Amino acid sequence: MSTLRRRLVPYGLLGPGAIWLLLFFAVPMYFMGEMALRSGSLDTGGFTFTWEWQNFSDALSGSNEQLVRSFVYAGLATFFALLIAYPLAYAIALRAGRWKLLLLFAVVAPFFTTYLIRTIAWKTILADASPAVDVLQFLHLVPQDGRVLATGGAVVAGLTYNFLPFMILPIYASLERMDVRLIESAKDLYASSTQAFLRVTLPISAPGIVAGVLLTFIPAVGDYVNALLLGGTGQSMVGNVIQSLYLQQRDYPEASALSFVMMLAILAVVVVYLRFAGTGAFMGDEEEAK
Amino acid sequence: MRHSNDSAGRGRAALLALLALIAAVAIAACGDDDSVGGGSDSGTQVAKSGPVKGEITISNWPAYMDTGKDNTVAEFEDETGVKVDYVEDVNDNAEFFGKLRPQLEQGESGGRSIFVVTDWMAKQMFDLGYLQEIDHDDLQTVFANIRPDLESPAFDPERKFSVPWQSGLTGMMVNEKLAPDVKSVNDLFDPKYKGKVTMLSEMRDTVPLVMKADGVDPTEASKQDWLDAIDKLRDAAESGQIRRFTGNDYNQDMTNENVVAAIGWSGDTSIIENPDVKWRMPTEGCILWSDNMVIPKGAPNTPAALGWMDFVYEPKVQADIAAYVQYVTPVDGVAEILPKLADNQLIFPDAQFTESCSTQPDPPGSKEDQQEVTEAFQDMITGQG
Amino acid sequence: MSGAWQWLRRNALLLYAGVAVLYMLLPIIVIALFSFDQTSSGKLDYRWSGFTLDYWKDAFSDDAVNEAMITSLQLAALSTIVATAIGTLMALALVRHQFRGRGAANLLIILPMATPEIVIGASLLSMFLIYGIQLGFTTLFIAHVMFSISFVVVVVRSRLIGFDRSLEEAAADLGAPPLTTFRTITLPLLAPGIVAAALLAFALSIDDFVISNFNSGTTETFPLYIFGVSLRGIPVQVNVLATLLFAVTVIGIVFVLWQQQRAERMAAVRPEPEPAV
Repeated sequence: MSTLRRRLVPYGLLGPGAIWLLLFFAVPMYFMGEMALRSGSLDTGGFTFTWEWQNFSDALSGSNEQLVRSFVYAGLATFFALLIAYPLAYAIALRAGRWKLLLLFAVVAPFFTTYLIRTIAWKTILADASPAVDVLQFLHLVPQDGRVLATGGAVVAGLTYNFLPFMILPIYASLERMDVRLIESAKDLYASSTQAFLRVTLPISAPGIVAGVLLTFIPAVGDYVNALLLGGTGQSMVGNVIQSLYLQQRDYPEASALSFVMMLAILAVVVVYLRFAGTGAFMGDEEEAK
Repeated sequence: MRHSNDSAGRGRAALLALLALIAAVAIAACGDDDSVGGGSDSGTQVAKSGPVKGEITISNWPAYMDTGKDNTVAEFEDETGVKVDYVEDVNDNAEFFGKLRPQLEQGESGGRSIFVVTDWMAKQMFDLGYLQEIDHDDLQTVFANIRPDLESPAFDPERKFSVPWQSGLTGMMVNEKLAPDVKSVNDLFDPKYKGKVTMLSEMRDTVPLVMKADGVDPTEASKQDWLDAIDKLRDAAESGQIRRFTGNDYNQDMTNENVVAAIGWSGDTSIIENPDVKWRMPTEGCILWSDNMVIPKGAPNTPAALGWMDFVYEPKVQADIAAYVQYVTPVDGVAEILPKLADNQLIFPDAQFTESCSTQPDPPGSKEDQQEVTEAFQDMITGQG
Repeated sequence: MSGAWQWLRRNALLLYAGVAVLYMLLPIIVIALFSFDQTSSGKLDYRWSGFTLDYWKDAFSDDAVNEAMITSLQLAALSTIVATAIGTLMALALVRHQFRGRGAANLLIILPMATPEIVIGASLLSMFLIYGIQLGFTTLFIAHVMFSISFVVVVVRSRLIGFDRSLEEAAADLGAPPLTTFRTITLPLLAPGIVAAALLAFALSIDDFVISNFNSGTTETFPLYIFGVSLRGIPVQVNVLATLLFAVTVIGIVFVLWQQQRAERMAAVRPEPEPAV
């Protein structure tokens, strides 16, 4: 293949996706950005473009509590999801043999029932008077006169549960390529199980972990349904504020501005995280990952 | 392969990015307008009447009509030959507005000839110029049979743009075994029910009821009355007295007794399968509202739309709807056809039952004042401020 | 006693996996259970009042549910195929090639995941209207592919990173053209990552509510339908259909795997024919 053709290959591979995202994401985002700089009101003359940078500072100052809470909830959910997902992904990738597909489907199956129905099911299981809550009270995980629903714990639990597949699937994908004999050879070389895990398994699954963390954390910050159905007024997240601004208050400029503020905050956290995790595990610069 | 780290490479990358940005802006700017919102400028328009034929699309709330075999739509199709696409996609006033507004701004309705929204939303849409007016001469059956107390509501005194589909009462859902003494909305603030009480996230139901319980007439309340009531709600929410503000998902909470008393809608008793839970009229009265059929600008086939409105106001037809929906029917003369339900105050309330009830109000004052009250309530719900 | 303890230690991982899968399927178990519940109104109430098969007998009686479910399945299948294809190509480009604009491409991929759904939904709606695209299945398809691409790229990428290139290099050394190498070596090795990404994209599509709500016109998807009927009570048929879908897919997969097992056993029994030299 000529050098020119070789140089064009990545653009060809990138092309369809880039065009799709540019047309159907970047352009709408431009509209959103432009709306964020408008002022006025829907009922009295409409929104006019006035370079209203104040929308951004208003959004930030009005919702900083919800922003912080969103990051905390999303962070906790990501942490718990990682703890729960990793051993399960490991088991599916390396111990499940031919039943992999079945287990993977089982992991994703709850999504087929729509968010509302599975949350209703959970609300039935975790109702104040249910046996499940009695058990939790017995284990002192829930105070004796307390409840599970309409609390911060319920929201985090909902987020964790609903984002588990996002954590399991990438970890599975990267673990599955590991040759189990590597562990055996490590043990032959007198490594303990823990050492074998830390030196062999963990590094191989690192890209999957980074991917899972990103796929869980990033959308979780902007989530609103879990807080809506499982929380009370003290558990509102940024997503709820944006919903309220857009639908009930019809303040499109501030809704757009707050969305941008949230997105920038997420990006900042992601950049810091990638620096810590090593961009090789995410970008996959072939030299770094080796 | 060269890395993009050399300065010439970086310069070229920046140029490419700039070009892409300009292209995106150019595409986007094609459809730009100077001001978004502010309503449609096309002036008032009266829905044209004519021979009833062709096809129409009707958007309604879920479970507001039996969609099984031989339902009202089928009857209408048989009688007039009109083909009806009946869609249940109005789930929430604000949400429906949110997704339809861009089209309504352009004078389009997305193919819908009729949709059904609550009083206050109908008024807002009309004020923004999104609705057509209706001529009473085209709706003889409607205005012959409409219940007298619905003929001239505050939000549309001349019934210029709305025709009620069903009416409802907002009051309290009470678990009679666990909270027998809850008789007024103020009882919902009783500390002994802390954390076991919910209220509606619908501002025009919750705040007026709270005001009524404190002796304020919601249809004559001042902006300050509204804001004071919202403050009272905020304190109760922060202290944990009010568990949550809900849409109609309070039904599940009441069924499994997470919640023993709530502000709720009269028609929901049929979906709460807990025999202890009953809808109660607060001692200070309830809030009356209607969901109304409206004809948007850009509605295709308005003659058939008007025909549908007239059709469902025939008592025989309305009887089927009323028996299924179990809310308050807006048509006179139906109680005689449904003797079994005639005594049900929640479907055929008599004047005495609803004497202290108020029609659902809007916050008073100018649009800015209304915006201020809406914002205060929403801030309270999302835990801000 | 130590025998039991040993057994526990050896199988701890599998036991954990079993518990974890049970946890994930808990809602489905509850849903299945209540599809047999007697109700007085035909709507779900989550209070057990007795066993009945009535709703299973009338499983397909509610046209609206069936239509919504079919629309959702079609939409999910179509958008998954397209998003997975597009996303896999992007992942290949990003991991294996150096080119200008990598940073921008990465940004373009991360941003959709970080954007609140209501804003994406509303902005897309405005855009579709400006371009005069009819709201309905097409706009839903476009939107679903759009938000799935990012997730596919990230998942496939995590599979590609650290991928052992030696097999591909060996094939090239043996004279295989790049496309053949890609088809016979790279793709099969990439398969688990692609399958995982496709599953995720499918789940995202079939579960999407907010973006679909704004861009569906009068088309109804399953989540939209559910949200609508939840206002006045969810018909029990919904539970029946959800359980049916789950059961049919599980049985289907088990069947395929069983056939695979049989085929392998048969091949082991019958000796390989000697290749003609």
